[in-house]
Amino acid sequence: MRSLICRVGSGACFIIVLAALAGCTREGTMKDAEGEMKLVFTHFKVPSPEVLSGLIEAFERQNPGVKVVEEVLPASTDQQHQYYATALEGRSAAFDVFALDVIWIQEFARAGWLLDLTPRLGATRLAGFLPGPVEAATYKDQIYAVPWFANAGILYFRKDLLSKYGFAPPRTFTELSQQAMTILEGEEDPNLKGFVWQGKQYEGLICVALEFIHGNGGTVIDGRRSALRDKKAVEALQLMHDLISVTRVSPPLVTSADEEATRHLFGAGRAIFMRNWPYALALYEQEGSKIRGMAGMATLPSFEGYQSAPTLGGWLLGVNRFSTRPDLAWKLVEFLSSQASQKVLAMKLGFPPPRDVLYQDAELKKGNPFIPPLYEAMRLARPRPVTPFYLMISQLLQPEFSAAIMGVKPPEQALEDASRLMEHVLKLEIE
Amino acid sequence: MGSRTRRVARRPLFWALVTGVATFCLLPFLWQLLTSLKSNSEISTLPPLLPTRPVFDHYLAIFQDRPFGRFILNSVIVASLTTVSCLSIGSLAAFAIAKLQFRGRNLLLFSALSISMFPPIAAVSPLYLLIRAFGWRDTYAGLVVPYTTFALPLAIWILWSVFREIPDELYLAALVDGCTPFQVFVRIFLPLAAPGIGTAAILVFIFAWNEFLYALTFTSTETMRTIPVAIALFPGLHEIPWGEMAAATIVVTTPLILLVFLFQRRIVSGLTAGSVKG
Amino acid sequence: MRGDRAFLMILPAYLLIGAVAIFPILNAFRISLDRRMPVFGISYFVGLDNYRFLIQDPRFWQSFLNTTYFSMLSVSLELTLGLIMALLLHGSFRGRGLLRAVVLIPWAIPTVVSARMWEWILNPDFGLLNYLLQQIGLLSSPLNWLGDRVFAMHALILADVWKTSPFVAIILLAGLQMIPEELYEAARVDGAGGWQIFRRITFPLLLPFILIALLFRTLDAFRIFDLVYVLTGGGPANTTETLSLYAYKLLFQTLQFGYGSAVAVATFLTVLLISAACILLLRRQSHG
Repeated sequence: MRSLICRVGSGACFIIVLAALAGCTREGTMKDAEGEMKLVFTHFKVPSPEVLSGLIEAFERQNPGVKVVEEVLPASTDQQHQYYATALEGRSAAFDVFALDVIWIQEFARAGWLLDLTPRLGATRLAGFLPGPVEAATYKDQIYAVPWFANAGILYFRKDLLSKYGFAPPRTFTELSQQAMTILEGEEDPNLKGFVWQGKQYEGLICVALEFIHGNGGTVIDGRRSALRDKKAVEALQLMHDLISVTRVSPPLVTSADEEATRHLFGAGRAIFMRNWPYALALYEQEGSKIRGMAGMATLPSFEGYQSAPTLGGWLLGVNRFSTRPDLAWKLVEFLSSQASQKVLAMKLGFPPPRDVLYQDAELKKGNPFIPPLYEAMRLARPRPVTPFYLMISQLLQPEFSAAIMGVKPPEQALEDASRLMEHVLKLEIE
Repeated sequence: MGSRTRRVARRPLFWALVTGVATFCLLPFLWQLLTSLKSNSEISTLPPLLPTRPVFDHYLAIFQDRPFGRFILNSVIVASLTTVSCLSIGSLAAFAIAKLQFRGRNLLLFSALSISMFPPIAAVSPLYLLIRAFGWRDTYAGLVVPYTTFALPLAIWILWSVFREIPDELYLAALVDGCTPFQVFVRIFLPLAAPGIGTAAILVFIFAWNEFLYALTFTSTETMRTIPVAIALFPGLHEIPWGEMAAATIVVTTPLILLVFLFQRRIVSGLTAGSVKG
Repeated sequence: MRGDRAFLMILPAYLLIGAVAIFPILNAFRISLDRRMPVFGISYFVGLDNYRFLIQDPRFWQSFLNTTYFSMLSVSLELTLGLIMALLLHGSFRGRGLLRAVVLIPWAIPTVVSARMWEWILNPDFGLLNYLLQQIGLLSSPLNWLGDRVFAMHALILADVWKTSPFVAIILLAGLQMIPEELYEAARVDGAGGWQIFRRITFPLLLPFILIALLFRTLDAFRIFDLVYVLTGGGPANTTETLSLYAYKLLFQTLQFGYGSAVAVATFLTVLLISAACILLLRRQSHG
């Protein structure tokens, strides 16, 4: 025992030295091999990685001598943001091309971390792309990222329940509440809920709340002032609160629900309506799903007299401004966002494309029938406030919106507090 | 209570407590086990509590499409290296602080403690720059060195407490006999301090095994990935594969528990192992 | 001679600590004196302005209160539960080895999984907790644990106590095993009962280990992050936002490095004061 400890102790020192040396050599293998040009593409984990790898291999064949290394990050948008912010603030050239959440573009562009792609795009700029992603990718009239895939909030509904009561998908929130209340009364199922959405205190809450606010003709920012004090915003938040506490169309659990929680709820057949991103539909049509064939999709309702305003989500491809190979990186971006690549990603991975024309594509219709019906929602999708301050604003708004929907504060108070904080932040831009 | 050598008939209260504690600790873990054996459609409903038909798909799935075995190996290497280096370095320091006379001992202890007071998320950026400067990104050293450093306070404190309790007579007698402090340390102290060392080893190992934040930031290639980062990569953009994560929990935790079970006998006290009498 | 030896023995540990750990901490102190928002190209010295802002920042104080409440309640429960576990594990009985291993399970499960697991258990609609409580009859309808102003914090505490009681137990167990058997035997010969033995022998000798468990658990509780981030994100309505979570949002979501560092430093200083107080208090106890 004792001699074992002696040996272990001295072994430890030896191992540490060895590890340090091993560390050095490992770093060596990361350098470029003779004659090869290396590009690093950092992105979130995609389902079926072989599809993306296949595309990348095609790119490598088209560009002999180029090797693209994929680095995968966790899907959590926060963790990716943290990773990129840490690296880019340190002016890292460790990656060349990376996938950005639609809400980061303004911030990263303002920080000077993204390569300006306008000269490379030429006069046509982002023609053929949906308006929402283009707006999100443009900062001070320059384009800093190319939309890779788009996302928009949609309304899921139970086709069987709605047709049983003779309803068509609701166009306004009032209609939705009425339909839900009628069905709940008629079904008398204590486990059935009316309308579930994401109300947890996180970015998802802002997405949903904006669908109500924008859907009532309201906005968030007006120049340097907050537009949330407006009656329209108050009405929107009031409705969200009332859905839970007054009409009880939405169960209290929405205040802690995120996408997955609501997806499971609806998927177990326990909700009539759900607001969520398009990804759930494919899951509902899988073998073994309880609601197979019963899940319908529609554009989100709005307030009377206003147009539906689904919130825009999705990811774009950008080039690291500190990259040592900007031209090559641009070629990769161009390739991966080309019509052909986006069609493959849409068909095999279910990534809704940000290009108009693909929604009419016959091959895509056959390969992935869930995508073309999304066109209406994608077309109408509105980005969250397009400003470098967005993430700060979101952090300020989340607790206030959460307080409003829970009844902790009346909506006017919550919006007044939110406005004060927002205006304080908006004053920061010196120019 | 407190007897180790006598086995007495235990009162019902004792067994009730034991059952309660075991249930409290095991229940969520058993729930994970059940979840890992359920098919996807059964996972999000309750009842049923038990899977109607156990499926092993999730266990197979975690090894498909990814070199999970490699991740386990990386974690084993990093955690072992961390434990060994942390304990060697830490026990040296703890011995000096506990047994040797010099000024500033309490200050040293407190300053070690203060390292553990800092929120890790605020230390990530500067550490990242440091790791990058040394070229330790994607290396074992890039993880072992920070892990050892941040596990040192706990190791030093536990070992210091344990060393303190070992009576000075042993030390002084051996010195008189002509042993160097280092020999005393290795031949007399370490066996007597076995419970403390075992405890510190387990805690440091688990800390390194489960550490996530630095592993995520300092490594980016698949070959160097450790288990926590691998598991964080299970979820897709929206979906969380509960079945697979549950299976991964079982696969990753069970060996640890088995190891502890097998070695816990050796962690029994050395003080009463008959070395000190009179 | 002694001094030299001592110096050599502590050198590796403190060299490592100095090089690796001190640098980020000093760095954070330094940045906290700046206004630093890289997105806007802002980076200049403002002295103690960030701290002045912090003192009147209601969100900081809300986090501070949340964190304090969380820590006090968690740590007390963990110490109690950990002590009970350690005492149980110390005695000799059949299956002791197995129980020792089982007790370690909550601590051994990776945090990335543990938090998600509790998210699942606390799910209002198909979570295990609601199901069991309803089966036993303690609940009539499902509770919205993580979306309720009062229950969210306590659900967090439950998850944390579950995870970290083994940590306390294993440290206290080490302490119990250092107590020489002779002391117990002598006391029993003198006719002392179980409770007296505990009060006069076990507890005082265990005090240094209780201090370690108390200190390290308090440090960790005050810096709690992963659990809160996954389960509630600080909600609902900021009722569970802790200091580390606030610092994280400032540093990595909104990229306000100056102010975020100030919040981290404030957390550090708070924990420093609390630890110093704990140590002084317990020192006095053990000397008395």
